[in-house]
Order: sequence, then structure tokens, then C-alpha cells
Amino acid sequence: MAVAEREIRTKAASQGGWMMVYRRLTKNKAAMVGAVLVGLFVVSALFAPLLAPYDPLEPVAPPLEPPSASHPLGTDYLGRDILSRIIFGARVSLQVGVAAVGIALVVGTLVGAVSAYYGGWADLIVMRVMEIMLSFPSILLAIAIMAIMGPQLINAMIAVGIVAIPTYARLVRSSVLSVKEHEYTEAAVAIGATDLRIILLHVLPNCLAPLIVQATLGIATAILDTAALSFLGLGAQPPTPEWGAMLSDTREYIQRAPWVMTFPGLAIMISVLGFNLLGDGLRDALDPRLK
Amino acid sequence: MTTYIAKRLLMLLPVLLGISVTVFLIIHLIPGNPAQLMLGERATPEALAALEKQLGLDQPLHVQFFRFLGRVLTGDLGRSIRSNKPVISELAERFPATIELSFFSMFVAVVVGVSAGIISAVKRYSLFDHVSMFLALIGVSMPIFWLGLMLIWFFSVNLGWFPPSSRLDVRFFLETYTNFYLIDSLLNRNLAAFLNALWHLVMPALALGTIPMAIIARMTRSSMLEVLGQDYIRTARAKGLAQRVVVFRHALKNALLPVVTIVGLQFGFLLGGAILTETIFSWPGVGRYIIEGINERDYPVVQGTVLLIATTFVFVNLLVDILYTFIDPRIRYG
Repeated sequence: MAVAEREIRTKAASQGGWMMVYRRLTKNKAAMVGAVLVGLFVVSALFAPLLAPYDPLEPVAPPLEPPSASHPLGTDYLGRDILSRIIFGARVSLQVGVAAVGIALVVGTLVGAVSAYYGGWADLIVMRVMEIMLSFPSILLAIAIMAIMGPQLINAMIAVGIVAIPTYARLVRSSVLSVKEHEYTEAAVAIGATDLRIILLHVLPNCLAPLIVQATLGIATAILDTAALSFLGLGAQPPTPEWGAMLSDTREYIQRAPWVMTFPGLAIMISVLGFNLLGDGLRDALDPRLK
Repeated sequence: MTTYIAKRLLMLLPVLLGISVTVFLIIHLIPGNPAQLMLGERATPEALAALEKQLGLDQPLHVQFFRFLGRVLTGDLGRSIRSNKPVISELAERFPATIELSFFSMFVAVVVGVSAGIISAVKRYSLFDHVSMFLALIGVSMPIFWLGLMLIWFFSVNLGWFPPSSRLDVRFFLETYTNFYLIDSLLNRNLAAFLNALWHLVMPALALGTIPMAIIARMTRSSMLEVLGQDYIRTARAKGLAQRVVVFRHALKNALLPVVTIVGLQFGFLLGGAILTETIFSWPGVGRYIIEGINERDYPVVQGTVLLIATTFVFVNLLVDILYTFIDPRIRYG
């Protein structure tokens, strides 16, 4: 009975809360623009094989053809259709964004929660390590990790994920520290709940709002950083249709075929903008006091 | 004040130690034998053994680390495998190029960003506010390597206004003293070279400075709006002070506090972003150096550059914190 009662109560509370957030979010025009851009990005990622007019890996026309009716964004130096490559590139970027943020979110949350909940030595050591990681400019740390692991898309994902861990760890830590002091946590301890139960059921749900915001903005950063690594030749390798990789070596054709470098960059910018707008909107919706 | 700085310096020690451990580990975490990787498949066993000895790989790990630390502290970062020159002297040659680029970018970013932020805040919801905040939003989402390419395409290839690469036209010869070309050209009393170096800086600086510029503009605007809404500003206005005096003397000083922090943090971004910008504009700084190092598997080069950039970042942040106590006395006594 107690269980059912609690379920009903939390359901009602969270439904009301999330409805309000949803309503605030949909009222925010910028956030809605962001949501549309993100939607576009996700749709082209999921349905790439249906949407792309050509094979992204095979030459289908003469190289460096300017945009035309059959190739709306032109062709690259191998004669591959750029539009098709960009659509498939969304797939790569979505995977990268979700995987990198996933790594950072899981490890960061775990590390932050444990270090805040237990405090003492664990906290001291963990936070020093995070501080050291933050003492590297993020792209530099990612590059150093890539130097160790070797140039591959999956390694770039991992590197970008690792670099973002301290952000989440600090966020969760500070939330946990404040939640720990609340009476309901004390009450849970008093009735003998285990640490794991307290962290998962009582502490973490209260950090959810900032984490959602951070994760949304984090996908933008992950897309940007992975594209940068690939641009430098450290991430995705040819012939993978990755947006950053599509931009590297385009300087040679800058005069003859500027479309080759224009569209992949535009794709990066628009998706990053989408996640940034949505993230900002979510922040305003989840915490109206910040506005 | 002195105790505060001393305390901050002391707190720096574990961070610096952590950085050196990380840098040290780079070479040890590579899968396989680093000496083999650096010399390639066809290296002779003698050459391999020699390099292993040179890198100290034949010693136990902790011995290697303390040797590494000892060498680093005496300014020895090893030799580049490719050029066989000391990494420290190659870095010393290139670092001024990176610093010059970063400082100039930051200068542009602060001047433009702060001005745009102030105007946007004072003329809230005006056309200027909307346009500049929209541009700032685009700027924050901008892949700088793409922006660099677009700048080259537009301003160099199409219009021919700015040079697409290098720090100075080859026709200029400079006696180098500092490797900061803006300074060296003046020391050479060569105004034409100074202007030419400045000319070469414009596009890379714009590419590198765009994101910080956008962030600074947004930060200045919101912080300015917050300050302008406070009681003492209303009092100042009620006294009949001119808008100019209220904005610049009363509001700006307080509004700029958070901006200083952002500027400090953005320096790290600039040092990282320089890696991309230098690659695009063939800028001979440490950013391009590290990428060359990675491509050539020249690990001493990679280690040395990572160490240099991270240490610089840490000290810049320290400097900003100290600067902050000068601007905001509450921190010193807090």
C-alpha cells in the first residue's frame, strides 16, 4: 500500500512539474527553433538511407561539380554527392554526440555522486583529478588522448566524452551536497535506506534538471569537438561521411569549388545552434529563477 | 594580498604535478612500443635500443617519472625525433606566434564583445540588441575551422583583401629579437613590416576570436542589465546624472566583474582553438607544431607542447584570479 501511495504521489508531482516545464518551453520561440533544428538533425540521422538521393561513399558524378538540380549541393573531389554525405553525416554526428555525452554523463554522475555523498578522501582525490583535467584546454586534452589512442572515430568519441566528465561530476557533486542536507534525505537515512537507494531515489532525481540542460548543451559541444578532431585528421577517417572530415583538405579546392567546404560547415553550425538554443530554452524552462 | 597570492601558488602545485603526470603518461599509454612507433617498422634493433635508452624506457616507471620531472624542471623537454633539435628551443621559436595570435584575438574579442554588450544592454530590445545577440548566438555555435575557411574564401580568394596564410610577406626581412613580429618589426624600425604583420593577423584573429567575442558580448549584456536594475543606479539617475556617466562610471565597473572571469576562462579556449586556427592559416605556432608531432608520431614534441599549453593556461587563470582581487576588494577580505 505504501508503495502504491508513493507511486501515485510522485507521479502526480512529476507530471505537474514536467507539464509546466513543457508549457514554458513551448512558449519560448528560440527554444522551439532549436527543437525544430534538432528534430531535423535527428530525422536525417535516423532516416538517412531513405532521404539521401545517392550512396554517400560512391562517386556518382564528375568530381567538383557545382550545385545543380541532380546534385543540389554539388559533388566533392571524388564525385560523391555532397547532400547525401551530409545526410549520412548527421548519423555519424548523432552517434558521436549521444555516445560522448553518455560516457561523460554516466561516469561524471557516478564520480560526482559518490565523491559528494561519501566526502573525505574520496572527495578530495576525485575533485583534484577533475581539477587537473580542467586545467587543460578541452580540445588539447582531447588531442592528447587521441595521440595515445590513435586516429579513429570511436576514439574521438571516447576522448570527447572523457574531456566532458569533470563538468558533470562537478554539477552532480554540488547538487548532491545540497540535497544531502535536506530533511527528507535525513529521514531516509533514519528509516534505514541503503546508500545506493538514497542516491538513486532521493538524491539524483533532484539533480535531473541541471543534468538535462548540461547534456543538451553537451551534445552541441561533442559534435563541435569531434568535428574539429576529424578536421585535424585525428577523428573519422576517409571515406566516412563525417562533417569535420569532409572539411579537411578542402582548402585545395577553395577557389574552384567553394561549395565543397561551405555545406558541411553549415551543417555543423546549424545542428550545434539547434542544441544550444534547445539547451538554453530548457534551462529557462526548468529553472525560471535563472532568467 | 601577498598571503593570498602565496596561497594560490601553493594550491597550484598539485595541479602542476598532475599535469606533468598526464604528460608523462602520454608516451606510456600508447599501445605497443613507443620507440618502435616513432622509428617505424623498419628500424634496426640498434636504433631501437638507442632510442629506448634516450627516452629512458629501459628504466622502471617511477624512476622514469622522476627523471622526466627533473628534466622538465631544468627546462629539458627532450629532442624532437624528426628534427633532432631540443623540443624546448623549437617551442620557444613558435610560442610567440601563438601568443601574438591569442592576445590579438582576445583584444579584438574584448573590444568588440564588451562594446556590443554594453550597447545591447543600454538599448535593450532595440534593433541593435536583436541583431548583435543573434550574431552572438551564431558565433557561439560556430565551428572555428569552418569560419577560418570561409574567411579565406571570402576575403582572400574572392576579394584579395587579406593574406590567407603565414605571419609576414616573404619580402620582409626581420632581425628577430622576441619572435613577436609586431614587436620585432618596431624594434627594426620597419613600419611597413609592422603593418604587414598586423595585416596577416586580422583573419586568423577573427576566426579564433569569434567564439570568445560572442560569449563576452552575451555576458556583458546580461551582467550590465542586472547592474542597471539596481537601486544605486536609480539613485544616480535620480540625482540627474547624464546617462553616459551612469553607464560608464557607475554601472560598467560592477558589470565588468564577471566579464573578467570569462575572459580568463576564454584564454584556455583560445590556446586550444589556436591549434585549429594555426592549421588553417599555416600559422607557425605551437598549435600546428603539436599536430605535426602527432602526425609524425614525434611524441617528445607532443608531450612538450601539451605541457607548455596546459601550464600557460594554469598561470593565465592564476593571473586572472589575482587581477580579480584588485578589481573586487571583497574577495581579498572575504
